[in-house]
Amino acid sequence: MQNSSTFSGHAPHARADGLTAAGSRAVTGLIFVAPAVIFMVLFVAYPIWEAIRLSFVAVDAFTGAERFVGLRNYAEILNAPKLWPVLTNTAVWTFWSLIGQFGLGLLAALAINRNMPGMGAIRSILLLPYVVPVIALALFWRWMLDGSFGIVAVSLQHLGLLVPDQSPLASPEGATWSVILANIWRGFPFVMISYWAALQSIPPEQYEAAQVDGATSWQQFRFVTLPNLWTVTKILFVLRFIWTITFFDIIWLVSKGGPAGATEHWPIWIYQETMGFFRFGYGSALAVTLGVMILVAIALYGLVLRVASGGRP
Amino acid sequence: MKQQTMKLQATMQRMSSYAVALPLAAFIALPLAWMFISSIKPADQLFSSPPRILADRWTIDWYVTVFRDSGAAVFFTNSLIVGLASTLLCLVIGTLAAYALTRFDFPGKSVFLIAALVTYMFPAIVLFVPIYMILNALSLIDTRIGLVICHTILTFPFAVWMLKSFFDTLPREIDEAAWVDGASYLGTFVRIVLPLSLPGIFSVAIFVFVLSWNEFLFASIVMTSTELKTVPVGISEFITSFDVRWGEIMALGTLATVPVVVLFTFVQRYFLRGVLSGAVKG
Repeated sequence: MQNSSTFSGHAPHARADGLTAAGSRAVTGLIFVAPAVIFMVLFVAYPIWEAIRLSFVAVDAFTGAERFVGLRNYAEILNAPKLWPVLTNTAVWTFWSLIGQFGLGLLAALAINRNMPGMGAIRSILLLPYVVPVIALALFWRWMLDGSFGIVAVSLQHLGLLVPDQSPLASPEGATWSVILANIWRGFPFVMISYWAALQSIPPEQYEAAQVDGATSWQQFRFVTLPNLWTVTKILFVLRFIWTITFFDIIWLVSKGGPAGATEHWPIWIYQETMGFFRFGYGSALAVTLGVMILVAIALYGLVLRVASGGRP
Repeated sequence: MKQQTMKLQATMQRMSSYAVALPLAAFIALPLAWMFISSIKPADQLFSSPPRILADRWTIDWYVTVFRDSGAAVFFTNSLIVGLASTLLCLVIGTLAAYALTRFDFPGKSVFLIAALVTYMFPAIVLFVPIYMILNALSLIDTRIGLVICHTILTFPFAVWMLKSFFDTLPREIDEAAWVDGASYLGTFVRIVLPLSLPGIFSVAIFVFVLSWNEFLFASIVMTSTELKTVPVGISEFITSFDVRWGEIMALGTLATVPVVVLFTFVQRYFLRGVLSGAVKG
């Protein structure tokens, strides 16, 4: 009843139903967030529960009938011949993508932080990968790496780094570095812009104080800039880690996990088992395993941070 | 003497900024430029070995072919519809929630904020199997509504946080004054707060649209019939279903990229403001 009065145009303060202003605001607040809550329960919380439940069943691809199989899906993951190759690929992909994105991101942030002619335009260009569709990235990457007509592949052939008419995508190492480089291209602007925001928030007085104390520019960087970037680094690393280890599109669109599984990382494995072989139970077990691995990694990371800071939060 | 050293040092620092920024800008811009250049080269010069940087004549044939023969126009229409609908749904849910978070105290508020944050970080690949099965049970597979729901899942937690940061900048006194004057909560929200936050809402809208326009994973599993496919999925099949027609593909890639880059340029100012207040997603 109170709900309807909130929406009926009555003045919230002039009501006769005895509801306090704080009470009616609480009710209104709940009504306003209700659509978002319903959405999250239905399409986030419930799917999390479903993913866990499905990981213990086998789903018939044709009838959709479910059969409880206990831990058999998980046992199958542990015994899968491709478990170690996929884990290795996932680690290589995540590690080098993050190194590249954080390295280039920090460098770029320091560069665009200077107010110099043309930096605004450069900043706009450096932000472009943030919005370029991954499909476009994948396509021009493949085109540049085409063994016969691709400008990058042919240049590498001329330098003697590739056999004539060969694409880097044809060899396991070449394909691995190609997808990682594409991912660095796409991901470093996010790191750049986050670091740039942190740099902008450093009070100039800190640099002035350091200069008064006679600090060199390296010392200013080491003792003023870096400590100020530490807070954003901690959370940024978690975000980039989650979004890199689970990022599916680039590898799928550039190499499809090939050649011969050389770039198959965990998300590709999930996708192939579910959309390729319609093994929804097994695919869910793979997804839950990935989720658990991420949670464990973040927990360890938090622990390391705590120990490194001497027990302080 | 000391002043000279400092001046030299300052110049060195400026040079080093350019020395870092220019190669990086080239690393970003050259592949994009190459995509566009490739899309306007005639076939004999596109497929020359070794590749030539520039052609001696240019053509829009690939673009004509793409629209006349391949039916790519359908993909663009679908992406536009799904993008606009996702934006609308996301904004309705997002603005209401963000407004409540900035103006009302209600039980579970902090739980909601944390849940939104977790949802924001949640990777699509971990949840796409159950979401696929839920959509299937609701008969929403191969419908635009199904994909709109998926894209709203991906975008609204981020929209809530970004909108919250915009609403936080509006003084509460405006709302209080309207309430005292007898306006309802919903009326205050719709007639006073929303119009005042239009720049913020506009930029959030563009981000939702761009994410929807670019999204591949859900689009590839939800849409199965060709006439419903969005741009990323439509183009990705272009490369496997024919032999590799690079001219058309580069034209399609350019066409997929230009709208989002133009939109983004419009809102970059607000985007940077959003970044500075800590709301960004990649």
